Amino acid sequence: MSFTGPTKYREEAAKILRETPEVRTSVTAATRTFDAHRIRAWEQIDAESWRDWARDVKTHALGNLDAYLEQAEEQLTANGAHVHWAETADDALAILSEVVRDHGIESTVKAKSMLSEELGVNKHLEGLGVHVRETDLGEYIIQLLDQPPSHIVGPAIHLSVDDCRRLFHEKLGTPLDAEPDELAGAARDALRAEFLAADLGISGGNFLAADSGTVALIENEGNIRLSTSLPRVHVAFVGIEKLVPRLEDVSGFLQLTARSATGQPIGNFVSLIQGPRKSDEVDGPEEVHVVLVDNGRTKLLADDVAWEALRCVRCGACLNICPVYRQTGGHAYGWTYSGPIGAIIAPGMLGLEEAMPLPFASSLCGACTDVCPVRIPIPELLVHWREQAARQGLTPATETLGLKAYTKLAQSPELFAVANSMLRHVPLELAGRALPVLNGWIQERAAPTSSKKSFLEMWKEGIE
Amino acid sequence: MLERVREALSDREPLPHPGTFEGWRSTATPDPVDGLVQLLEDAGGEVVRQPSIDAAAAWLASFCADFESSAVGETVPLLLHPPLPPGAPDTAPLGVSLARGAVAETGSLIMDARDGRRAQLLVPTHVVFVYAAHVYATLREALIDLADDLPSAIGFHSGPSKSADIGQILVKGVHGPGRLIAVLIESEG
Amino acid sequence: MRVSLFATCLGNQFYAEACADAVRLLRHVGVDVDVPEGQTCCGQPAHNAGRPDEARSMATHIMHVFADAEYVVLPSGSCAGMIRSFYRELIDSDPGQAESLAGRTYELSQFLRRVLNVDSLGTGLRGRRVAYHHGCHALRELGVKDEPISLLAGCGAEVVEWEAAEECCGFGGLFSAKLPEVSAAMADRKLDTLPDIDFMTSSDGGCLLQLSGRAAKRRTGPPFVHLASALWRGVTE
Repeated sequence: MSFTGPTKYREEAAKILRETPEVRTSVTAATRTFDAHRIRAWEQIDAESWRDWARDVKTHALGNLDAYLEQAEEQLTANGAHVHWAETADDALAILSEVVRDHGIESTVKAKSMLSEELGVNKHLEGLGVHVRETDLGEYIIQLLDQPPSHIVGPAIHLSVDDCRRLFHEKLGTPLDAEPDELAGAARDALRAEFLAADLGISGGNFLAADSGTVALIENEGNIRLSTSLPRVHVAFVGIEKLVPRLEDVSGFLQLTARSATGQPIGNFVSLIQGPRKSDEVDGPEEVHVVLVDNGRTKLLADDVAWEALRCVRCGACLNICPVYRQTGGHAYGWTYSGPIGAIIAPGMLGLEEAMPLPFASSLCGACTDVCPVRIPIPELLVHWREQAARQGLTPATETLGLKAYTKLAQSPELFAVANSMLRHVPLELAGRALPVLNGWIQERAAPTSSKKSFLEMWKEGIE
Repeated sequence: MLERVREALSDREPLPHPGTFEGWRSTATPDPVDGLVQLLEDAGGEVVRQPSIDAAAAWLASFCADFESSAVGETVPLLLHPPLPPGAPDTAPLGVSLARGAVAETGSLIMDARDGRRAQLLVPTHVVFVYAAHVYATLREALIDLADDLPSAIGFHSGPSKSADIGQILVKGVHGPGRLIAVLIESEG
Repeated sequence: MRVSLFATCLGNQFYAEACADAVRLLRHVGVDVDVPEGQTCCGQPAHNAGRPDEARSMATHIMHVFADAEYVVLPSGSCAGMIRSFYRELIDSDPGQAESLAGRTYELSQFLRRVLNVDSLGTGLRGRRVAYHHGCHALRELGVKDEPISLLAGCGAEVVEWEAAEECCGFGGLFSAKLPEVSAAMADRKLDTLPDIDFMTSSDGGCLLQLSGRAAKRRTGPPFVHLASALWRGVTE
């Protein structure tokens, strides 16, 4: 199943709420758990100062991105890795095709990588006749279901234990009442054979340290270590915004990201990969390819307001706190990245028209700013994209005209009072004909009742 | 592609690097080794403390009585090889490694690729020897030191393999070792 | 001391009695109240909809209406937040005056607690179990969190523990009408987690309209009372 695209957000969200209300229950429980863990983990550290530092390092890195990219390429090459530059998704996939051809790749094991989802790597490999296996347990589950991921950190949070029991019973033959331990054990056995047989391992990259040429990867299961160690070739797709100036900076980001994502001091397994196996090592890939990917990131970087979104470390904390995301999970957003971060990068990377209405899929409550470890001012960026949408004529004409009319009224107190009086006497249902957007209100809520007299009228008459 | 980056940044004032951030913690752990032990145990790992290599070897001999074979890392000293027939990493029930060091702040064992990655990852039970003298207080210190001599890959292992992907319920031993035992050797003598 | 009350567009239209209660409260604690005639809308709906020009026009108008006010008090966290957080940047023709206005602007409970140091207004809410909904803008833009709680408790109310107290109600201005299904689900989350109470209160008219409107549609929910009215009950009952 491929993504439905952001433009269908409203329908998809409504469908999920109407037809599969258990998703809302699962997602609410999962995100509240993640957030509780993050709160506890942040209490153990000086979170405010740490977030300031992380924001400043990333801002600095982005401000000097060209220099750091060059340095990273130099270092990775000196480490024996092959560095490729991919401006578009097609470029990235072409590079992958070449690696597949050059090495006669027949089967791949994949570590969880949102970028690889974004690029459509799996579908492309299958098209080349290569067997692809997702090895992260959550990704494995949704691969079996042929669904896209629902959350940046926990791809299967929209599913319950029973959903998993039924799936594993069908695909792996486990009993219908199997405990999670047993289910995980069955997955482990099935995937182990694949790890050992695969000739190519594919990963993303959480961070790329420029001074040492290091791709850093965080996980809990060990599948990333296995995918990047066992097969003879490793391809890492790394978004250019993942650059961090120094290996020692990575120490701060590994910890802050883990604390923000799952509440751990650090991910259970961290891989720091410099390049292919060295002559004094007994195992490891013979070739390591690092593909530096743009795919719309430079477009975001060029935007004077939205560039801040590139600081994102993909911890998912904003998804976990977002009251809008919580109602539906990620599928409603129709794209790789959902929740608040998805809403602010989609317009830059997909183009605003394709990304609509995501910048409007928010009540601007600001909870995300409380939790973002790199202090991205998400509501500010959402309003920025809304401005662009209005300028580009992507919002309904009735909305534009309605707001213009309202503005005129608001500058003329007498007319404002007349409108007030009209609204008191004209039911909202009728007003909804002139302003269709108001029908949205009536669909889900009782129409509000105006006060018998406006406050300003009461004041004129005197208040006891 | 670099051109596009340069163009995107052309009219912006870059911010200087803020430098090192010292204040990771609001409360400091008194002793790095104790901190390491605490975090490893919190994460589901087991910790055994032995005063010397000889004592550690004795412990190992009794520990591995129930195992049929083991895969041993390349950098593990002979004294710490278990008295078991050698096994391949993908079939041996036990793996024995030497960590390059450990990090107290995160509760992590530093696994160097030169020790052999397969034996560190494929075995269900993983015993890792680490010298107390090689325990770093902070991750930052560890990385600065490691940077002088980096192999193809370094792994930080901070507990047994785990996942909460099935209905948010924690399960252990998903892909990497499900049982991790860190043997802390107080003195190298 | 003289306070100029800004009733806000929603307050004026839908919560007139609550705004009147705000006047009564302020007089009760010894403050003179006036209500500048030209007041209409602070401009937040336009600002949040990405229409800075429209927002600027409305904001400039308001700035002039309240130019001579000693204090501006609003029975609304989101509108007070708009003035305090956004006017300075928005009104680029006169940022100095905008900033001055921002510095004199308060939400009602914030004003009562922080400026007037009011503790206890009366005992009229004794024995009442009350749930307080924290409007997002009051909470995050103004930093108003314990002020309304302590004022309610100061009138004898028991402000109950509520898991979803600080979560967004789903109003978000136009959001509630543009994406009604998700907005309603957000209101449902609030309503379905409410413990047993006598009434729910909040400082924001928009939030109250959203929650009471959803509750009415579902034929469920407690009584909804604007904070100004709740506190006035604390004085009079």
